[in-house]
Amino acid sequence: MSNTSQFQQIASNLPNLAHLFRWFNRGRHLNRISEPVLWEELERNLDDYVAIFTALGFDLRLDGRGFAWFHQDDGSSNTNKATRQLALLFMVIFDTQADAGIPLMKFEHWRIDQTLLTTVFEQHQDLLEAEELDLSGLVSLMRTAENFGFARYDGGAWQLLPAVCRYLDHYEELASQVDQDEDVSWAGDQDDEDNSL
Amino acid sequence: MSSDYGFQQLVLLNSAGYERAELPLDESVSLIAPNNTGKTSLINALQYLLIIDKRHLDFGAHDKDKARRFYFPSNSSYILLEVTLPESGSVVLGCVGKGFSHDYAYFAYRGPLKIEEYRLDNGKLVTQPQLLEQLAQHGRTANFYSSTEFAEMVYGGARKQGQTSSEFTVFRLENRKDANAYRQVLTRTLRLDKLSSGEVKRHLLQIFSRQLPDSVVDFKQEWDKAFAEVNQDREQYRSARNQQTLIDELERQQEERLAIRGRIIARRPLIDDGLERWQNHYQTESKNLQHQHDKLQEQEADLLERDREQTRRQSELNQQLEALNKDEHRRRELENRLALINERSQLEQQLASTITERNRHIALLDNACGQPAPAIEHQLRRENQELSNLRKEQETLSDNLYLTLKQQISAEQLSILNRGLNRQLLTLPPGDYQLESQQLLQWLQDMPEDWFELPGLNLSVANQAPQYEQRSEKEVAQLIEDCRGRLRQLQEQKAATEQLDTQKKRTEELEQEVKSLEKDLEQFDELAQLQKSCPDRLKAMEAAKQELAEIEHAQKQAGALQQAFREQIQEVANQRQALDAEHQEIDGIRQNRGDTDDQFNWLADLPHTPWVGDPVLPLDQLAKTLRDYQRDCYQLKELDRELHHQRITLHSGGLTKFQYAPSPEEEIRLMVEFRHHLVREAEALEKKARSAVVTVTASLRDLRGNLQSFENAMHEFNRLISRRKLSDLKVFRIQPVHENHLVEAIDLLIQTAEKVESGESFELFNQSSVLDDRQLDYARQLLIDEGSARHGLKVADLFRLTFELAKENQDVESFDDIDSAASNGTVLMAKLVTGLAMLHLMQDKRRSVQALCYLDEALALDAANQRSLIKTASEFGFALMFASPSPLITAHYCVPIQQMSNGKNHISRKHWQILQPLETVEA
Ligand SMILES: Nc1ncnc2c1ncn2[C@@H]1O[C@H](COP(=O)(O)OP(=O)(O)OP(=O)(O)O)[C@@H](O)[C@H]1O
Ligand SMILES: [Mg+2]
Repeated sequence: MSNTSQFQQIASNLPNLAHLFRWFNRGRHLNRISEPVLWEELERNLDDYVAIFTALGFDLRLDGRGFAWFHQDDGSSNTNKATRQLALLFMVIFDTQADAGIPLMKFEHWRIDQTLLTTVFEQHQDLLEAEELDLSGLVSLMRTAENFGFARYDGGAWQLLPAVCRYLDHYEELASQVDQDEDVSWAGDQDDEDNSL
Repeated sequence: MSSDYGFQQLVLLNSAGYERAELPLDESVSLIAPNNTGKTSLINALQYLLIIDKRHLDFGAHDKDKARRFYFPSNSSYILLEVTLPESGSVVLGCVGKGFSHDYAYFAYRGPLKIEEYRLDNGKLVTQPQLLEQLAQHGRTANFYSSTEFAEMVYGGARKQGQTSSEFTVFRLENRKDANAYRQVLTRTLRLDKLSSGEVKRHLLQIFSRQLPDSVVDFKQEWDKAFAEVNQDREQYRSARNQQTLIDELERQQEERLAIRGRIIARRPLIDDGLERWQNHYQTESKNLQHQHDKLQEQEADLLERDREQTRRQSELNQQLEALNKDEHRRRELENRLALINERSQLEQQLASTITERNRHIALLDNACGQPAPAIEHQLRRENQELSNLRKEQETLSDNLYLTLKQQISAEQLSILNRGLNRQLLTLPPGDYQLESQQLLQWLQDMPEDWFELPGLNLSVANQAPQYEQRSEKEVAQLIEDCRGRLRQLQEQKAATEQLDTQKKRTEELEQEVKSLEKDLEQFDELAQLQKSCPDRLKAMEAAKQELAEIEHAQKQAGALQQAFREQIQEVANQRQALDAEHQEIDGIRQNRGDTDDQFNWLADLPHTPWVGDPVLPLDQLAKTLRDYQRDCYQLKELDRELHHQRITLHSGGLTKFQYAPSPEEEIRLMVEFRHHLVREAEALEKKARSAVVTVTASLRDLRGNLQSFENAMHEFNRLISRRKLSDLKVFRIQPVHENHLVEAIDLLIQTAEKVESGESFELFNQSSVLDDRQLDYARQLLIDEGSARHGLKVADLFRLTFELAKENQDVESFDDIDSAASNGTVLMAKLVTGLAMLHLMQDKRRSVQALCYLDEALALDAANQRSLIKTASEFGFALMFASPSPLITAHYCVPIQQMSNGKNHISRKHWQILQPLETVEA
């Protein structure tokens, strides 16, 4: 049996294949809580999907915390900028919440509304303005996050999705590196890592 | 720990490139051969006997058809397994090629397995068609089985007739349902390097599923079911609340209707009875009143009669009194007038003397007679006039106007003037007139005969006598003498008459006086009479006055009496009128009763408020009661209409809850009751909503409970696989990790339900309804979405398995995928241990039959791990077989594969090498 016909057979059993492929290929993350149906489909046929995507040259990764994405080693410069800005966005949001004494692990329950974003902006104005971001820029960045599957807009506010864990993991890693080497600034390291998105 | 029972040996004859292969399975084996010789093929042969189900056979890259040709090239190709079982001792499970189309057939018999028994006398292997016969010759009762029968036999399922139970049951499972899972895991033990995390999870779930009720929660359905009633009730509650005023009105009208019905029911017989009695009553009463009326009128007439009598008497008395008064008055008047006369004789004397005097005068007068004085006077004046005229005529006798005219004008013309002018004018003397004869003649000539014309005045003189006639001197003187004689006579007469009058007057005076005296005398007598009757009169007057006063009093009383009578008569008349009016009204209503509708006949069967009014109906109340009754009847019909309308309005307003009440009345009652208990209903609704939450969460609780059970089972499982150290791992366990968002959502709902149950969060639910809580709603939606994506939630959806590993002195790390968790060897070991543990869990622990576990590419493990693995496998009831190009000294047997010159492989008992520690051998 040839590979091609094998794939054809597999693909015919995957009605959402094209949809999922477009989804992931746009750099978008699939979150179980926001897309339970797609997720279930993906999970149920994971081996097949992995096989097909791998054959197509994509690296589908599935995180047990409930999100999946196409892992890329080389990002376009566009993606680079976006990821860098998103990293900044999540960093300032998490920082703000941490200051407010809110446990970070429950980030899925936060309501990220205009009020919160305003607070975030006020508290990190210098940092954000250095990236040429104003409050409305922050808002449009949230939309970018939405497009990449890091957040969803619901009931007048954004909700962060589990995919944000990728950033959280990354911050933790940086933090441990900083522990080891005081001189390394997290921003400097960020580029290498974020290419993966 | 090796078992007394279990796999003994595997024999391949004419299969998989082996001319013959004998492989010990009772202890660990190291199968040795160069690559691409047939190690894997040998062990895979077991699949036909142990996996059986064609769908589950797995030969890696070789597809199943190819494998069949490979394993069953002829009808004398055999795969044989000898197993010792506690129930039946040695048994042989076999699979023989049918030659034709490389199919194969299953057979079994009580062993032991002796290869010679398969060899015909000519040294050739027996073919499938002769197999049973051949075996029978050796005293073996073998049977062919279909793959299904065979599978059921091996896994302790249904038995063929005549077989003792579990004669050929190799694997006795704790639970029959595990057979499939067991076979799958078993398949994997042949290729454990392929065991994936997903499979581990799936198998573990399957293994533990007997502890977990097979529950799938369709959360949306559960939720909808639980809240359907709540939502319905809430709709009803809302519509009732919105229509409160309408329901209040409904209640008022219904109460009115009930009261009216009660009244009508109570009054109807009273009224029927009353109407019957009325006619009689009316007639009696009417007659009675008529009688009264007549009697009163009679009495009044009597009174009137008496009154008239009295009036008459009164006027009589008044007249009497007046007369008496007049008499009295007369008496006093006469007393005054006759005050100076004391005796009657006084008056009598005066009268007598006066009469005498009078009579003397009367005698005087009788002598004197003639004309009365005035007439004489008149004649005197006429005679004097005549005398004067005659004297004038005498003077003008010679020359007067008549004479002059007689000379100048014709006698005719003179006649005109003599008839037109008077005598005195015609006798005027010449000085007293001027005559212009010509003019006069002219004038007279112009005048018609017998006409006397003056300017502006024409007088007819035709019938006038001539005024003047010329007399002679003598005649005239004679006339004058005559006249003078008459005058003297007249004057004497006059004087005599004057004397007579005076006498007459005196006589008259005397006459008067007589009369006056006579009258006085009369009056005197009258007075005397009056004076005499005075006391009687006074008494009579007194009596009359008394009687008058009495009459007046009586009349006054009679007036009052009459007034009373009149009032009484009026009263009776009024009563009659009222009675008639009443009768008319009653009759009118009787003719047109408002209770003729059908419903009034069964009104008593309808709900009503009993009437507590007077149970008797006096006739005088009949009309009023009838009126009220009539009004009630009409109002009842009106209320029926209105209530019907109201009910429909309420329905369209959404209050349909009681639509199916047995009757509209009952529905109204229920609506009203509902409205009165709205506060309670709200509470009940809240309670219901809460209990709905509780109900909904009951299934979630089961799910959550199952997750907990699974976690407990996993804990046990981890203990099992951690009994022996794996490689250099301090920790190796398979950890269920919650799908947090789901478990949290479930926990939130469960907690809420618990609070609801314990009533702890009363305030929370008082504030906002259970259904409106945002977080709850989020949790609910999440479970609904996830549930619908997965066609219901299962325990398996609530967690994922991670593999947690830690080496000495290192932190525990967790991995989603076991393959990435550690080095190849370690992962291999981990998988093997996990697989074995799973198989162990499935087996009936009371009956240990040692099976086989195969580890390909065994060189990845170091000796220590090999030993550890052999021990672990043995503990789980498996003999471990390693396949590798070079021997593993940790195994009990070393079995090399001989390659024959004909290209066939060969393993014979003779080649088996048993490895033992030197000490043991020496000992
Ligand atoms: N199911 C099968 N159907 C057909 N041919 C098979 C099957 N299994 C094995 N073979 C063939 O048998 C030969 C021996 O292969 P096998 O995998 O048994 O070797 P091996 O001794 O396990 O080698 P290695 O040490 O490389 O694993 C090969 O030529 C292979 O193609
Ligand atoms: Mg092999």
